[in-house]
Amino acid sequence: MSLKEQLKKDFSTITLALMAVGIVLNLVLGQTVSLLKLPIFLDSIGTVIVALLAGPWAGGLTGLLSNLIWGMISDPVAAAFAPVAMIIGIVAGLCAKYGLFKAWWQAVISGVLITLALSLVAIPIRVYMFGGVTGSGADFVTAYLLATGQSLFSSVITTVIGNNLVDKIVTALLAWGIVKGLPKRFTSRFSRADKVTG
Amino acid sequence: MTASPTPSHSGTLYQPGASFLHRLHPLTKLTFSLCALVVIFSGPGGWLSALLPGLLALSLLWRAGLGRLAARLSFRLLAWLAVIMFGIHGFFGPDNQTILFNLGPLEVGQEGIEFAFLITIRLAAMLLVSLTLVLTTHPSHLVQALTEFGLPGGLAYLLGSPLLLLPQMVVRAQAIHAVQQARGLETQGNLLQRMRALFPLVAPLVFSTLVDVEERSLALEVRGFSAPTRKTFLNELVDTRSQRLARRGLIALSIVTFLLGVGWRLYASS
Repeated sequence: MSLKEQLKKDFSTITLALMAVGIVLNLVLGQTVSLLKLPIFLDSIGTVIVALLAGPWAGGLTGLLSNLIWGMISDPVAAAFAPVAMIIGIVAGLCAKYGLFKAWWQAVISGVLITLALSLVAIPIRVYMFGGVTGSGADFVTAYLLATGQSLFSSVITTVIGNNLVDKIVTALLAWGIVKGLPKRFTSRFSRADKVTG
Repeated sequence: MTASPTPSHSGTLYQPGASFLHRLHPLTKLTFSLCALVVIFSGPGGWLSALLPGLLALSLLWRAGLGRLAARLSFRLLAWLAVIMFGIHGFFGPDNQTILFNLGPLEVGQEGIEFAFLITIRLAAMLLVSLTLVLTTHPSHLVQALTEFGLPGGLAYLLGSPLLLLPQMVVRAQAIHAVQQARGLETQGNLLQRMRALFPLVAPLVFSTLVDVEERSLALEVRGFSAPTRKTFLNELVDTRSQRLARRGLIALSIVTFLLGVGWRLYASS
């Protein structure tokens, strides 16, 4: 199949409708979860679900646009992290493509891989754009590591991975459970879903 | 004819109004924001390149009657970040050499303070510059402007429809929360209890919206969404010759500043 045909298949009308819903899920679920005061933010579950059902490109675009829209409507700072959200979708889609989302323990591994990949993009943005500061409790860890003589870069590596690891594993597990629980009639509309459900 | 203000702007930063900033074509404001961001992060002179676009954006917002709001928003988003920034880099900055003064057992380093100052100015400028676009442009007008410019219809749908879906989904999420609580779901308590509440809160929302997807795509197809014909617009956006020229000028200016910045950095490091 040529690239153009693949893109056409990956971005059919139903996929676009799915992506729009995925974007809104990203924006809404973050708020719902903050009610529970858990140490996770779950703001990329829509991205991961889209990536599992419709592939890495659809997933990546869902993440990218989620953050750009969030930046447009409520917090321009979120737009700065749009590339990070894009990587989450791309890597989740790739994990699914290579059969790493078939069982729950594979979803955990995928969550770890997503965290490692997003760190590659998130760390430079944190360091060069925000001076390594997040405005959250993670800054105490950064301060401590800096005080023990670590460089800014390696301090931020620790906080970014620590901050995201649990969140991305929970996200991957939830997305896996949800896609497994979807009716066959629905998932059969998406060319990629059988990689997870099959 | 000017673009009529779309009724729903709840939950967004957009402020309805008729100032000169509101009347500018969305692409002009977008170009200004993006070019200013390039200058802020790459221009020569470090903090000076960030300060000038930031002040320009603030004065534009002020003339449009939005200065107070922009200042308040920036303060809310950045004040806490700035405090931590100065704390971390002042006390523990990895490049600290010169000691400004002692605060108890801790030393405050000049390099760290300078670095924190640079980052804070940059972030504030970045925020103000993006607010000139975000506060005065209704998201749907921006999407329309991008579509007229040549953005594919699919992407325009992805940018526009979440804004319409969002209020509906917030209501649905609140309903699910209320229903699950009525059924005795524990949303307080220890970490394990709250963790257990996660799936019952998340799954119904996700399942119910995913089930809607098929219906949505049918609705789109029925209205000729993927038809290859050229679509027309209900509202017209006003663009002028001078704005088109201004956009080109801004792009040229940012490229020149970028090159000057590269030269300045090479010179400073040699």
